[in-house]
Amino acid sequence: MRLLIHLAIAIAIAIVVGLGSAALVLDRDRLFGAVTRGAWTAWPDSGSADADPYTAAILARSGEVPLGAGEGLAFAAEEDSAGQRLTGNCRYRVTGQTPPARLWTLTAYDGDGHLMENPARRTAFHSREVLRHEDGGFEIAVARTPEPGNWLPVTTTDRIRLILRLYDTPLAGGASIGDIAMPSIEKVDCS
Amino acid sequence: MIRLLLYGLGGLLLGGIIHIAVILLLPDFANRDAWTSLGRFGPDGTFHLLPMSEPGTEPLPYLDPEMAYAACRFSLENGPIRIKAAMPEDFWSIAVFNRRGNNVYSLNDRSAERSDIDLVIATPVQMAQLRESPIAALDQSIVIEVPITRGFALIRSFVADPTLVSRAEAMLRAANCSAGLPSADTPPPADPDEKN
Repeated sequence: MRLLIHLAIAIAIAIVVGLGSAALVLDRDRLFGAVTRGAWTAWPDSGSADADPYTAAILARSGEVPLGAGEGLAFAAEEDSAGQRLTGNCRYRVTGQTPPARLWTLTAYDGDGHLMENPARRTAFHSREVLRHEDGGFEIAVARTPEPGNWLPVTTTDRIRLILRLYDTPLAGGASIGDIAMPSIEKVDCS
Repeated sequence: MIRLLLYGLGGLLLGGIIHIAVILLLPDFANRDAWTSLGRFGPDGTFHLLPMSEPGTEPLPYLDPEMAYAACRFSLENGPIRIKAAMPEDFWSIAVFNRRGNNVYSLNDRSAERSDIDLVIATPVQMAQLRESPIAALDQSIVIEVPITRGFALIRSFVADPTLVSRAEAMLRAANCSAGLPSADTPPPADPDEKN
């Protein structure tokens, strides 16, 4: 009888620890190979054949298809440049330079990773349509209310996520990502 | 008491094994992974145009709404496959994934140095056979060797402007995932682009 109780305890510990730790790890962002520059984080290995098992499991669970190393590199931001979580309650200004790439797009998602329906019918900007300053720099306003210039609308008041995808960029070719200039995300104000 | 501790320790070790097993096996049992999602669009072996990513109609999570996509699930069990597609002049790329959704190969229009896709995908064994009896008609193709038997290919085509969507979609719709692979002995047919 004692043996059975001990065995039951051991098995219960095994299941709680095993499944619990797996669930914890999979619900978080990818563990390995993250490259962070400013507010932006990329996972260059996720688009290569030697993605680690955690990345593979997370991608399989979400159904997401990563950008291949020969296609480009995606940077995600969930916080502004000051380290505070991006929410639809605040207005943000994305300004500055992007790393070398033939093409880039900036897309806004809600906290669950879905595009947001909005009257302006705009979910993203790409590098060729964005209005620029004379020096080639740009400024994209991420806000719920209309803004002059490049306005990337959001409709949620909850968390938001920005993804900057660089297509045909030397950064994706496996070479180490050195000191690159990424756009900054500044909070303007909050409602 | 010591025995209970030992059982607890054994439980922890077993928990570690369960953790590793769950992580490694999850891609094989996931039912919302890319492979399964793409199966909804139609039969394997041909390209299916994915609807443009718009709020509420995203075919796969985190696809770029500025791109048009076509995907094809394929199997290499009956021999190498050949992908042919005429592409727009602007940016496009193609990526090959294994059954579990790991990227095994990718290419963009600039690295392909041509404006159309002609890609032959073979397993290492099939590759060795191709090397033994080269097919002249494949001289212009990009031939890649991948260590997989099943997988999917995804083509992205940049749509700079909403007015260009229909053109990009027409080209993606015409993409061929099982173009004829001429045999080494017979001369290639006049039009190898048999529609699937």
